[in-house]
This record gives sequence, C-alpha cells and structure tokens, in this order.
Amino acid sequence: MIVANYLASAALFCLGLFALLTRRNMIKMVMGLSLMEGSTYLLFVSLAYRKASTAPVLVGPPHGRTPTQLAHGDVADPVLQNFCLTAIVIGVAVTGVFLAVVRIAQHYRTLDSDEVREMRG
Amino acid sequence: MTKEKHPIVADREPRHRLWLGLVLTLGTAVALGAAYLAAPRENAPLPSAATYALVTALPDWKLLEPVNEVVYGSRGFDTFGETFLLLAAVVSIVVLTRPREPRRGYFGEHTAGEREQQEVDPDERVDEEERATRAADTREQGKISSGPEDPDSAPLGAHGPERAESLTVVTRTAIRVAAPILAVTGCYLVAWGYSPGGGFPGGAVLLGVLLLAYAGFGRRRIARVARPGLLETAEMAGALLIIGTELLGLVLVGSFSGNWLPLAEPGTIRSGGIVQLFSVGELIEVGTGLSIAVLGVLSISRDWAPDEEGQESDEDDGQSPDEGGGER
Repeated sequence: MIVANYLASAALFCLGLFALLTRRNMIKMVMGLSLMEGSTYLLFVSLAYRKASTAPVLVGPPHGRTPTQLAHGDVADPVLQNFCLTAIVIGVAVTGVFLAVVRIAQHYRTLDSDEVREMRG
Repeated sequence: MTKEKHPIVADREPRHRLWLGLVLTLGTAVALGAAYLAAPRENAPLPSAATYALVTALPDWKLLEPVNEVVYGSRGFDTFGETFLLLAAVVSIVVLTRPREPRRGYFGEHTAGEREQQEVDPDERVDEEERATRAADTREQGKISSGPEDPDSAPLGAHGPERAESLTVVTRTAIRVAAPILAVTGCYLVAWGYSPGGGFPGGAVLLGVLLLAYAGFGRRRIARVARPGLLETAEMAGALLIIGTELLGLVLVGSFSGNWLPLAEPGTIRSGGIVQLFSVGELIEVGTGLSIAVLGVLSISRDWAPDEEGQESDEDDGQSPDEGGGER
C-alpha cells in the first residue's frame, strides 16, 4: 500500500501550492514552498521502498547472506535516496534565499507581498 | 486598528486569487494523482541505475553504503553541481542581507552604520519618533550590557527578567552536555559511519551545534568563531578542495570525479578513495555555507522605526527612512 504514500505526497504538494497561490503573507508563502519540498522528500523515499527489503547497506546481511548476495537482493533503491538528499539541500538553499527576501521586505514594515511595490508582478 | 498604521496581514489576511488557486491546485492534483498511480510500486524490480550502484559499491569503491557510492561516485558530477548551487544560494543571501558598511562581524555593526550615515547623508533630520526609537534601543542595549560579560558568572537563584543575551542555567548546562556529543557524532558520520561519506548531514549537525551555542550563550560567545572572515574563507577552501578533488580525477585517471586515491579495506576510514576527501569538502561547504546563510538572515540590520503618518510607499522611492534602502 505504498500508493497511499504517493497520494499523501500529492496532497501535501497541492496544499503547499494552494497556500503559495492564495496567501499574501510571505512567511506563509515560504511555509507553502516548504510543504511542496517536503512532499518531494516523501515521494522519493516512498519510491525507493521495496517490499520485504532492507536498507541499502552492505554489512550484516540478514538470513546469513553475503554482502555480494545482498547487492543483488531486495534492498531499497539507493539512487532515489540520493535524489532525496539532493532535494533536501536544494530545498534548504531555496528556503534560505526566500527567507532573506522576506527579511528585506520587512523594511517595508509588512509581510504582505502586495505591499512591497518592487515585488508586485 | 487601521490598515495604514499597522499593515499586519496576519490579523485578518485577505485571500486573493482564490478561484484561480483552487482551479490550478485541482488541476495539479489530478495530474499528480494520475502520474503517481502509474508510478512503480513496492514490488517493481530495482531500476538498472540502482542495481549498478549496488553491484559496483563494494568491488569498485570498497564502500559498504551504496548511497555514498551514488552521491560521491557514480553521480559525483550531480553532487558537484548541487554543491555550487548551495554556494550560489549562500552568495545570494550574503548579497541580499549585506549591510552597506564594511562588515567585520555578523552582529554589532550599528555604530559603523551610523558613522557612514553621517558621511553619506549628513543633512538627514532626526525627528521625534526617531529619537524615541533610538532612546528605547539604547535603553534596551544598556540593560543587556549591564549584566555580567559571561552569563555563567551570574549568581545562581538570582531573580529578575531573563536577559535576551543568553538562556537559563538549566538550558546552558543541557547545551554544554549535548553540543560536544552532537559535534563528535557529526564528524563521526563523515569520517566513519559504515563507510566514509555523509558530509551533508555532518555539516547540518555542525550548524546545529553553532546555533545551540548561539541560543544558549549569546552572540558574544560565538563571535570569535562566527565571523565573516573565517566562515567565508573556510567555505571557499571547502569549494576549492571539492574542485581540486574532482579535477585531479580528470587529470590523473581521465574522468571527472574518477577515483585517483588508493582504496583501503571496506569499513575503514580510508575506504572509498576520493569519497572521504569529497565528503570532507562537503562537510566544510555545507557547515559553513548554512552558518553564513542563517547568521546572515539573523543579523540583518533592524529597522523598527514606525511608519510616518500618511506616508505612501508608492511615490518616495529612495527617500524611505530605511537604513539599508535605496540599493535593492
């Protein structure tokens, strides 16, 4: 039933997107963006999952198997776990830049994105 | 409470583009749902990229963790690009949050800023509100500096308001116990773990240690370590280490991100060849980069002076009373 995780990830993504589209408070927009980022982490980790598998670590294999056997056996997908690591770093970078913009917008004494004239699109 | 005086949207935040947002979100939900229902499930065979990483990790890299093989080995170029994306984000944050005066520290640039203000715009008038704000600011700062320089020298059991500079003795003691353990764990993750690798989580843990020290003991205690000159130099050194490691692969073994170091036995500190070097570079890069970003956002110069009556921000571009305004 890993498909429940996929759908939860889609729901989180849509929640974040809705917040980003309809909110004007920039802190809440950053929160929406972070929700969208979090949904991708959930998706990558869920896509990496395999039924009755172990973590992709080639030490202490279960049922007396050797590490080489483990490499061919059921483990979670390491490439998607790497994607998740990449997504986390990029998410931090995006959130950091956005928060710096929010701090600068506070010079206008508002968090309302419409009040900041230079950012009105 | 009128909107002109206190434009705080958190109180009664008007929604806008509600229907457009709903339609776009529902469309995205349908598209994502359809795509995710067709995505591979838990019984699908591993893709060939994953099988390749699993098969090559042990014989080719002597790594027990295929994820590290993917991060620093077969997808090393991707990690290389990601590192410089992080560096670009840090540079953006530094540029966005930079005060106009020359920087020597992340905090306490107020005096230098006022001096420069005198040089740049000596005719700036100081009105009643500005004076009141500055007096309040001075009072607050005086209250802080009237306490002991070292929060630990305050007598135990003393009553009085908690100072903004540091947390209580209970929290400080907890941080004293937790911070070294966290720091060692972060470095252990990088150097050893199952196998070398783990510069990203290690760097994040080191940032956590720095922030714990900042929250617990105040900015004066971390000012010696957390200063732009040191952090930015270390970050550039980490970037240079990564570039050098990857380029030497191109020069010595003919492929960017190729391994040019001898491989040790799996599970030892030198297994994985360049993975250890790359990972240490990432530790420096991520740890200092995130610290610069967080401290940059935290130390943005305050401007809490209230808006002047009836002032409209549409017309007076460049004349706003912002300290850091004019060059955005």
